[in-house]
Amino acid sequence: MARFHPLKVTDVRRDTRDAVIVTLAPRDDDRTLFDFTQGQYLTFRREFDGEELRRSYSICAGLDEGVLRVGIKRVEGGAFSTWANENLAPGDEIEAMPPMGKFFTAIDPQAERQYVGFAGGSGITPLLSIIKTVLAREPASQFTLVYANRQISTIMFREELEDLKNTYLGRFSVIHVLEQEGQEIDLFTGRIDADKMTGLFTHWLDASAIDTAFICGPEPMMLAVAASLRDHGLRDDQIKFELFASGQPGRAKAPAVSAREVVPGTGTQATVTLDGATRSFEMPRSGQSILDAALAAQMDAPYSCKAGVCSTCRCKVLEGEVEMAVNHALEDYEVRAGYVLSCQATPLSARVVVTYDE
Amino acid sequence: MSDTMNIDDYLAQGGVLTVPGNVPARYRGELMRLMSSFVDSELAASAGFADSINYAPAIKERIAASRITMEKADHAERVLAVMETFGTDAGRYQSQHDWAARLDRDADIGAARRSGDMRLSVFNYPIDGWTDAVVMNVLQGLATGVQMTELTRVSYAPLAEVFREIAPREARHAALGLEGLERIAATPAGKAEGQRALAYWRPRVAATFGVAGSARYDTLRKFGLRHTPNETLLARWDTLVTDHLAALGL
Repeated sequence: MARFHPLKVTDVRRDTRDAVIVTLAPRDDDRTLFDFTQGQYLTFRREFDGEELRRSYSICAGLDEGVLRVGIKRVEGGAFSTWANENLAPGDEIEAMPPMGKFFTAIDPQAERQYVGFAGGSGITPLLSIIKTVLAREPASQFTLVYANRQISTIMFREELEDLKNTYLGRFSVIHVLEQEGQEIDLFTGRIDADKMTGLFTHWLDASAIDTAFICGPEPMMLAVAASLRDHGLRDDQIKFELFASGQPGRAKAPAVSAREVVPGTGTQATVTLDGATRSFEMPRSGQSILDAALAAQMDAPYSCKAGVCSTCRCKVLEGEVEMAVNHALEDYEVRAGYVLSCQATPLSARVVVTYDE
Repeated sequence: MSDTMNIDDYLAQGGVLTVPGNVPARYRGELMRLMSSFVDSELAASAGFADSINYAPAIKERIAASRITMEKADHAERVLAVMETFGTDAGRYQSQHDWAARLDRDADIGAARRSGDMRLSVFNYPIDGWTDAVVMNVLQGLATGVQMTELTRVSYAPLAEVFREIAPREARHAALGLEGLERIAATPAGKAEGQRALAYWRPRVAATFGVAGSARYDTLRKFGLRHTPNETLLARWDTLVTDHLAALGL
């Protein structure tokens, strides 16, 4: 299982009003662990009010820059991104897991490829890493970036992209699509939706020439771009996706635990939610796992190994107390947040409420 | 463009998820179940096929059986690596079961799985000799080919990519089986033996496609983890099998 290692903050640069670019250095011993591939991300962890939060941010540096660098855009109400934007300073230490992710294609110095990238907002970060690496290491390849933002002032890496255009004249082009600002060309104003994509393919992009397309942005944009790419003949294996982390809210709520003392050996009233349907049933206090009890109650709960190893059967305890016989799959922070392996969990309290939906 | 949408709507409209951190809880459960079923089936298939190497009548067949045994284990390892990103203890996982364990040849378990082991039901039956191994491999290989049209489209991108790498090699396994079956069917005795093995394996492989009108299919469809109903896939496989067997005079 991947582990966390400390990284030293060596530089914090403000890029836009809401975004900082953070440069990080691993300890000498950890250097090879943090070797990355263009387009990968780092997962950070930090405690906020005694609760651990984990957040992933894409690396924006190219392979030849010799540094580890991420862009962090502040999300409204986001504990981690706000902290990073307001408090992070050179000299600080922050814990991160080694780089992960598969948002890249293999580099081939001999290749003459046509790449196109679609970025929305901070979705530019992994694309910037890919663009820099591809332009430097595939001298005959070309890259077109379509970059959507609300307005000029929120464009991340604006200057850096201009510099890249000048360095790689004729091989790198950028189309800025701005939602709230009129531009000389009408097509470049508004959102990237199906119509906009059709317009781009009619006037600016040759779909038949594209070898690989990268998309990173919010969900509606990903859908619109992917659908349009397929309509224009691209195969699934030519389209690479990275959905940036919008799945997690600012902070998780601590589970409500109300263990009631009951006579040992008596039964437990179990309430289990799966796919929005809730079922209550009596189950024994020992000898039967919550998973088996749910299955016996005709609920199609997910499981596989039944040995506490795979974590397919993970559920969340909302009320009451349970105990796991073994746990080889959940990390401490997940357990603290109330998650248990239902194949290993038996109730300790008279009432237990669990859900597979959270 | 920072507006987002409900993740369920996104998936229902064909959206793709890319990291463990952005999958919803129920999606995670079904994705893990799908992956472990594949891993367990490949490990059981590899373990079951290992014995067939010694049934092989000649070097060419021996190489084909060895290759299938090796590559199925490799495919299991690749998908297990994706499970590992969700927290699965991969080391313990692979030593959880005796993957070579089989039931009696006459056991009738329908489409049921065995406790704590998600291998497809067909991989619980023992292989009985070379012709039996080849026939099982042809039928299951063609079934895998049909299933791959679903698996290569799953909405979890890192897994879809692994399946796209695996698919051509699985197709090669089926092709190796068809080559073997062609040699077997060249003699009347071989043909008769082949017919017996087909009668045994065909309903057992058919059962792995699951039931028509499956409720779980609806859930998986909503998540973009499935796109075509069980009955359609089964019919597609059935036609494929009939065509291939007819070409061999079986």
